[in-house]
Amino acid sequence: MAISPVDDPVSDGGADASAETEPVTDKRETRKGVSADGDEQQDRTRDGADRHWVGQYLRDHLSHIAVVAFFVLYPGLSAALAGIPALDIGIATVDPGAFFDAFLPSMPFMIAMLFLGLFAMSFDFISGYTGYLSFGHAAFYGIGAYFVVMAANGLIPGIPQGTPFVLTMVIGATIAFLVALAIGAVSFRLTGVYFAMITLGFAQVMYELIRSWGYAATNPTEGPSFAGEAPTPEIGVPFVDSLSVAIGRLGGDSFDNLLGLGIDLSSTVTSYYAIGLVVLLSYFAMQRVIHSPFGQVMIAIRENEERAEAIGYNVFWYKMGAFGISAFFAAIAGALFAAFRGSASPDDTFYFLVTADALIVTIIGGIGTLAGPFFGSFFFESLEDILSSQQGGLAPYLRETLPDGLLGADVAGITFLDVINTAVDGRAPLYLGVIFVLFVLFVPNGILGTVRDRLGGTVANRLPAHLERYRR
Amino acid sequence: MMGLLSHAVVDAPLFADAVGRFFQPDTLARILIEGLGKAAIYFIIAIGLTLVFGLMGILNFAHGAFAMVGAYLGGILMVVALSSTSGAFTRIVFFIVVVAVIFALMTAVGSALEIGLVRPIYDRTPMYQILLTFGVGLILEELARIIASSQGIQPEPTWTAARDTIPGFLSAPSEIIQGLFGTNIRGFYMFAIAAGILLAGAVWLFLNRTLYGLYIRAGSEDPEMVEALGVDVRKAFTVVFGLGTGLAAVGGVFLMWDPNWGPSVMLNLDVLLYAFVVVVIGGLGSFKGTLIAAVIVGIADSFTTWLFNTGIVAFSGLPEVTIFLLLVIALIVRPQGLYGVEEVGGH
Amino acid sequence: MSLLELEDVHTYYGESHILQGVDMTVEEGSVVALIGRNGVGKTTTLRTVLQLTPPREGTVTYRGEDVTGEPTHEVADRGIGWVPEDRRMFGYLTVEENLRVSVGPDQDFEAVRDDMFDLFPDLERFREKEARNLSGGQQQMLAIARGMVGDNDLLLVDEPSEGLAPLIVEQVVEALREASAETTMVLVEQNFPLAMDLADQFYLLDHGTVVESGSTEGVTAEDEMIRRYLSA
Repeated sequence: MAISPVDDPVSDGGADASAETEPVTDKRETRKGVSADGDEQQDRTRDGADRHWVGQYLRDHLSHIAVVAFFVLYPGLSAALAGIPALDIGIATVDPGAFFDAFLPSMPFMIAMLFLGLFAMSFDFISGYTGYLSFGHAAFYGIGAYFVVMAANGLIPGIPQGTPFVLTMVIGATIAFLVALAIGAVSFRLTGVYFAMITLGFAQVMYELIRSWGYAATNPTEGPSFAGEAPTPEIGVPFVDSLSVAIGRLGGDSFDNLLGLGIDLSSTVTSYYAIGLVVLLSYFAMQRVIHSPFGQVMIAIRENEERAEAIGYNVFWYKMGAFGISAFFAAIAGALFAAFRGSASPDDTFYFLVTADALIVTIIGGIGTLAGPFFGSFFFESLEDILSSQQGGLAPYLRETLPDGLLGADVAGITFLDVINTAVDGRAPLYLGVIFVLFVLFVPNGILGTVRDRLGGTVANRLPAHLERYRR
Repeated sequence: MMGLLSHAVVDAPLFADAVGRFFQPDTLARILIEGLGKAAIYFIIAIGLTLVFGLMGILNFAHGAFAMVGAYLGGILMVVALSSTSGAFTRIVFFIVVVAVIFALMTAVGSALEIGLVRPIYDRTPMYQILLTFGVGLILEELARIIASSQGIQPEPTWTAARDTIPGFLSAPSEIIQGLFGTNIRGFYMFAIAAGILLAGAVWLFLNRTLYGLYIRAGSEDPEMVEALGVDVRKAFTVVFGLGTGLAAVGGVFLMWDPNWGPSVMLNLDVLLYAFVVVVIGGLGSFKGTLIAAVIVGIADSFTTWLFNTGIVAFSGLPEVTIFLLLVIALIVRPQGLYGVEEVGGH
Repeated sequence: MSLLELEDVHTYYGESHILQGVDMTVEEGSVVALIGRNGVGKTTTLRTVLQLTPPREGTVTYRGEDVTGEPTHEVADRGIGWVPEDRRMFGYLTVEENLRVSVGPDQDFEAVRDDMFDLFPDLERFREKEARNLSGGQQQMLAIARGMVGDNDLLLVDEPSEGLAPLIVEQVVEALREASAETTMVLVEQNFPLAMDLADQFYLLDHGTVVESGSTEGVTAEDEMIRRYLSA
């Protein structure tokens, strides 16, 4: 007996009942993403007597648990794989450790994945679910980043320098929420391209102002940093030292022999878990909204705004609310970015290209699926890591492992080494651009959206229209 | 909170002084002529974008990248063809030849891109056309970066060797303006004004005096109706996308000589953003609107640059902030732009 | 050989099945009225003829040649003109330019234009005026003229009297009558007496299929069949 997840009558809580009637809901997508394993397990427990709500809850969140487990285990797993010693097998040395090191994303990239993923999810929250492209989303990321750094330097009036990071992060996000309402108040009279342009305009105005704002930093084009008097940002319960850990590339906490388990956590791994926790909580919060009646109205606005209005919803305030919430979480992502990096600069926060990154990973992961952008972000950062020039990238790995004869092999005056240096080393943006264009052309629904289509059977409905398009 | 903004605030005595200086003939002439020079450049980089949007309803996010390619290709041709001893006349003649060659080449490239990449996704939402062209722009930028650095040229900042192919009399202050108004304005701006007028005239003639231009104007209003009257609109799309690409590249060739720009990979996004501002203020798809918006933005640019240069406002980002503020204000006050059709965007 | 034939035509908008097997024949020189309630597929039938919304099944034959799936501009070039609902003028183009779009580069535009000005003298007076500044009736004249120029032998006319004052409707009807002397016509018209007055044949559509057809001779609004399918 196979029960398709589509027919599962109890997959959502009672409050989410309306979500079940909507074909585009996120939880279901993620669940389908876990493939056959999830279904199998579900069936087994269903046949058993256990119908306790805890069991039910766990079953509903199986995909979430699997994904979280993967990312929790990742640091240990990748360290173990990269640590496999080199082996001399007579004719050559085989070094699987270096291979894994080259292909598995290292921790700094995994952390970048976390805040880029959160930022992209917040972008998708407004752009993918209501259909209003927020091309100035970087502004909210920037507000979150600048607020925490400036607060840590005592530059925000009314906020003393020692205020815990978690508090300044939430205050900054609240400010981003309010700024979004202000921008939305004038921008939501516009639609389509015009909405995209006006939000882009607002963000660029802020970007140009911040770049020249001598109050925020002595060198405004470089931006402020957590230097000198500024306390190291900590994630945890405010004012309770034992429940907080410091994060950051340089000043983060590290733990030796954690809880006597013999596990050592470096400062990057500690930051990874702490930031990951915030991202996870943010994801669940946004997912809650999407599955609530509020989220259903957002989707209704995307599908047919006039009809949503005709039914009697005040679409303006729904759009405002969605925009505010998405700005809030964009600012959280910005704050996490600044905290880990220890600084914020205009080009890394307020600039249009920051929004572009979110846009790219959203498309690759699947627009209109909340978890999609996160997977897109994982893909993005993996590619960045593999093509990185740093140790752990593919180019150094090839240069070290390939025999000199091959590297020096010469075709029409171009050696293989030249090819590696120009076509591989640090070339992530090029391949990302190519992959992005291929996704737009051939996988417009992104990774998660396509998986959903495949498993949801809607392909059958779409195929005729698809074929017709090419026949013309 | 006032302290936060202190250096954007103007001192009162300075302000009175500034008003006095503003109304001197040399200042006014300077702001006006330099503004028109900048306006000409803004027009040249924006007109292709507005044609493409007008007919096809596609906001071409690769427009800046096409300009960047034009700037680099123009730079290569100029640097290869000229030696340091080439005279001013030779340089101008070569420049005109280069403009023609690159226009032809990039028009062909643009047409091919339209057939290969854009055509398959016409029936999707406009968002996908934005995404596709943006992706094409990213790829072109990275290719330019790779090729430039493999040739030992810094992709950022500007490739100065190409910019320095400008003849001396264009990079120096114009003597005619000096004699007439007693103010220093680069000869390049006079050159840009002349080129801008020529280009605007050529585009106007094409739109209003040729059958193809008529199809484009009609197609901007209702492409389906044009198709139903027996015109191959798909072919018109290909031609217009090609022309838009060619015009963007020509804009890039001009930027190659522009003292404020010059060939660099940053042109991709910079040109894109400024062209957006001009086109949106003028009304997406309107020739007349683009022309007038370019003049507004150009003069705002030269005025705010003057304010900063004379020390009246000690805020270096003033021109940029002003230009993007113009975009925001234009969208709030008049979303369809100066000359846009009321229900545009419903394409 | 009939001028236009539709055979078991099925047309969809996305997933909605609009035409569910339409059969229709139009003889050269005739005026055929398509009647039926709103939303039964009259406009879609015209769009299907022009391949603006190509049928998923069935064939459209013009002068004995299968045109199904052909690009719209090629179908139009075979000599089919379209006077769409709401007229769809190019508002920012002058009257003359509106006509010019419809005339191929190989035709003598001046001659074609002067023919139209003879037929619709009003248009000549406003030749340099932008179409959006014309009155509704004048726009309708222009739309008919635009559909006729370009050596067209078949004119598809959609709701020509819609939204016009009664006096203007009379002028439009007069124009259509003159046009019908020169070209075959398929007419979609809500105004039943007007349609019967202009047409010699009629096709009555309901739910995407033809339920009745024949000569308009002697058909009145009081007929049982007409009342059943036309009254709300």
